Amino acid sequence: MHEELADFAVNYAVGKGADYAEARAEHSEGTAFSMKNGVLHAAGFEKEDGVGIRIIVGGAMQFVSTNELSKKVLRGMLDSAVRAARKSARIAARIDMSDAPVEKARYEVRQRVRSGEVDSRGKIEELFDIESELKESKVNIPARFFSLCDEVVYKYFSNSQGSRINSVIPYVGFHSLITICEGGQTAQRSMQLDETGGWEIVKGWNLPSRVLEEAKALFNNLKYGKPAPKGRVDVVAAPEVVGIAMHESVGHPYEADRILGREAAQAGESFMTPEMIGSRMAKEFVNVVDDPAVPGSAGYFIFDDEGVKARRKYLIKDGAINELLHNRETASSLKTISNGSARAMNYECEPIVRMSNTFLLPGELSEEEIIDDVKLGVYIKSFMEWNIDDKRVNERYVGCESYLIKNGEITHPVKKPVLETTTFDFFSSIEAVGDRVGYYAGTCGKGEPMQGVPVWMGGPTIKLGRIRLG
Amino acid sequence: MDFALLERIVGRAEELGADDVVAIGEEARAWQTKFVNNRIATGMSGYDKEVSLFVSKDRKIGVTTIKEFSRRSIEESVSKLLRFTKKMQPNEEYYGIAQGPFKYKVVKGIYDGRIGKLEQRATDFIEGGINAALAEGAKRASGVLKYNVKEEFLVTSSDARSSERSSGVYFSIRALADKDASGHKVCCSTTLRNFFPERTGARAGRIAKMALNPVKGSIGRYDVIFDPYPLANLLNIAMDSASAFAVEAGFSFLRGKLGRKVASSAVTLVDDGRLPHCLSSSKCDSEGVPTRRNVVIDRGILKTYLHNTSTAKRYGVETTGNAGLLSPKPCNAVLSKGDYGEKELFDEVKRGLYITNLWYTRFQNYETGDFSTIPRDGIFLIEKGELTKSLKEIRLSDNMLRMLLNVVAVSKKQEQIIGWEVEIPVITSHVLVKGVRVTKST
Repeated sequence: MHEELADFAVNYAVGKGADYAEARAEHSEGTAFSMKNGVLHAAGFEKEDGVGIRIIVGGAMQFVSTNELSKKVLRGMLDSAVRAARKSARIAARIDMSDAPVEKARYEVRQRVRSGEVDSRGKIEELFDIESELKESKVNIPARFFSLCDEVVYKYFSNSQGSRINSVIPYVGFHSLITICEGGQTAQRSMQLDETGGWEIVKGWNLPSRVLEEAKALFNNLKYGKPAPKGRVDVVAAPEVVGIAMHESVGHPYEADRILGREAAQAGESFMTPEMIGSRMAKEFVNVVDDPAVPGSAGYFIFDDEGVKARRKYLIKDGAINELLHNRETASSLKTISNGSARAMNYECEPIVRMSNTFLLPGELSEEEIIDDVKLGVYIKSFMEWNIDDKRVNERYVGCESYLIKNGEITHPVKKPVLETTTFDFFSSIEAVGDRVGYYAGTCGKGEPMQGVPVWMGGPTIKLGRIRLG
Repeated sequence: MDFALLERIVGRAEELGADDVVAIGEEARAWQTKFVNNRIATGMSGYDKEVSLFVSKDRKIGVTTIKEFSRRSIEESVSKLLRFTKKMQPNEEYYGIAQGPFKYKVVKGIYDGRIGKLEQRATDFIEGGINAALAEGAKRASGVLKYNVKEEFLVTSSDARSSERSSGVYFSIRALADKDASGHKVCCSTTLRNFFPERTGARAGRIAKMALNPVKGSIGRYDVIFDPYPLANLLNIAMDSASAFAVEAGFSFLRGKLGRKVASSAVTLVDDGRLPHCLSSSKCDSEGVPTRRNVVIDRGILKTYLHNTSTAKRYGVETTGNAGLLSPKPCNAVLSKGDYGEKELFDEVKRGLYITNLWYTRFQNYETGDFSTIPRDGIFLIEKGELTKSLKEIRLSDNMLRMLLNVVAVSKKQEQIIGWEVEIPVITSHVLVKGVRVTKST
């Protein structure tokens, strides 16, 4: 990795008049494989080095990046960036960074089995094993697409305030889309697994039985599913559904850059205002956090991409809005300090406010106890279609694997229950919170250019009392 | 970047036993200025150089990207790729790459040298766009100006050889007249000749002002006029769905529908890799096959999927010149223009909606085409051809096939669109779709 170039860039920028400079030198390498309908469709490996530098000159911010790693190229780019900052000064916003301690650190996520040392034949076997398992089942799955990847990201962060941080974070990921056909109808299910660690995680996923389980559930839904009830009923939402709601209706609107309008023309703004902190959203047993320190999580980091030490953020505490997600720029604007939420997709992107792992904290009831308490309702275990408006108020989740609950018992599958509600109704309807948190992986999109970063989202099973199903 | 570098890479891969080799080199400079609430927030610039490399050996395929160009590094990357590929399983669906050499016709208007020197004018463009939006009634505006120049080289082991320079410029502006009143417009081109950020800012500002004081919309079925910007979101998905890869992998509502009616007769959807001034126009695809105009949907009938050499062979047709490094991909999606003037189109609607932006389009089932998407920015009720109310908080929950079959009118005037959720350039007009299902949170 080119640590010396990162340090050079920071010093050079300061020498040219930058009030602040930071650089991230990155090296990443990994492999990726995909299989379509039993045929190994693609296989490849990547190795990449690059550096991204952010500077503030007279209050104007500039970011440059390159994979052409020479001092000459960096000098040229930084000279242009300083010129551009001065040229834009007449209509540039004045950017300040909130105070942050100088950090010197080095950390690494351990791989018990190094992905880079696993033979590529062994990696593709994982995909062929899924294919064999599905073939042996009696489920008709005419279209099957699977991809498997691993990557290790080595990062060096350096800034003009003296922080120097090295990190090594390995990732593994699996994505699938299966199409089930039964009685002339089709249904689809996509699945995403992402974790930080080595190949031992992939082995632990037990992909063949996991994908088959999803296929069988979908088959049952197609074959035996009845129309979902409509109108006001209790909904028991399983961790996958809870997770997406926490991500979309809590994590995103609590991003301070959205609140300040910085994403207006991209991912949108927010219903939230800083003045809403302390307002009640839900009953007192509802607590939602964003926590990058969950071991093995897709959104894992110890220091963010501005060199700020990460911590658990209580976004909703005891049912009330408690805290926003900040980087140093937004924290300065709102006269607070960063809580370590700056992330960049890679060296080519500026760090912006992002979630890491966003989830509802557990309560005390088991899932069985929650279901026991429902006279008529729907249990939504998984979803396929979802979306939410750009202020993060109006949302829709369409159930995939779902069942009718009658007198405390799960009875038969129901097809496509539609929960089309608002963030406020969703949270005020939470009547019970389960005791076991489940996490689900996602790739969160935001920024310009669009930055997709790995996250987890989750929570325990919850009961939404008397909420309208469409 | 030059031919010699790529020829050395291809030659070395052949020496090491590769059957087919494709090397695509790209040297790109890109700039971006993001503005927020009438002020510049960040300037960005990037410079990258890379060679994407594809090899096959005994129908096993492998890909990598080379980003270091010392002799030693190239040797390491190429020999590693061959060793890696030999360990793979054969891809029985692979039938090689196209045999060259090919004669290429230059695609006009895809490079403008002035775009690489915009640094001095970037702030003026942004200021012009913002001021135009404010003059129309907006209180604040946010968005981005992006521009790039790149040079690409292609060399294959089957005697294809091509090089091309291109450029692109894109301006996106969202104007807000109030918290719930906004308008969003984009303009984009390969040259400065067709680039009008000030006009774009004014259009966004006008929509924002018209959108003031919105009321909640109602559920039901509506005749909807889609502005080109939101329609591009849906046509991007429709054209992606035409890739033979998407069809086979389950990502397409066009599976099994070749030769069948998938849209109304008002719809002719073309993939055109050679249109002047279009951002994905190029003289050849990733196998070196000359690009061409492919009529995907001809007056409602699905005529072809998009192919590379391998998928074409399996379908018993010729490649359509849409090869990516691994799978077929669209170039530019063009909805053929219709006969209607914009006013005539609105006059067709007794009671309906005018949608100016969409986002977050997600599918329940890609194969059936069931999806929903959220109108964003100005949404207007049309009564007897006139915009009578600004609306908010609705969702379109419908089906791609049903909507395409319900297209009743297409206007004459086209524009090119890319956007935050529109990755392939779409050239489209305003379109009227009958009976679109509208839902909302309850």
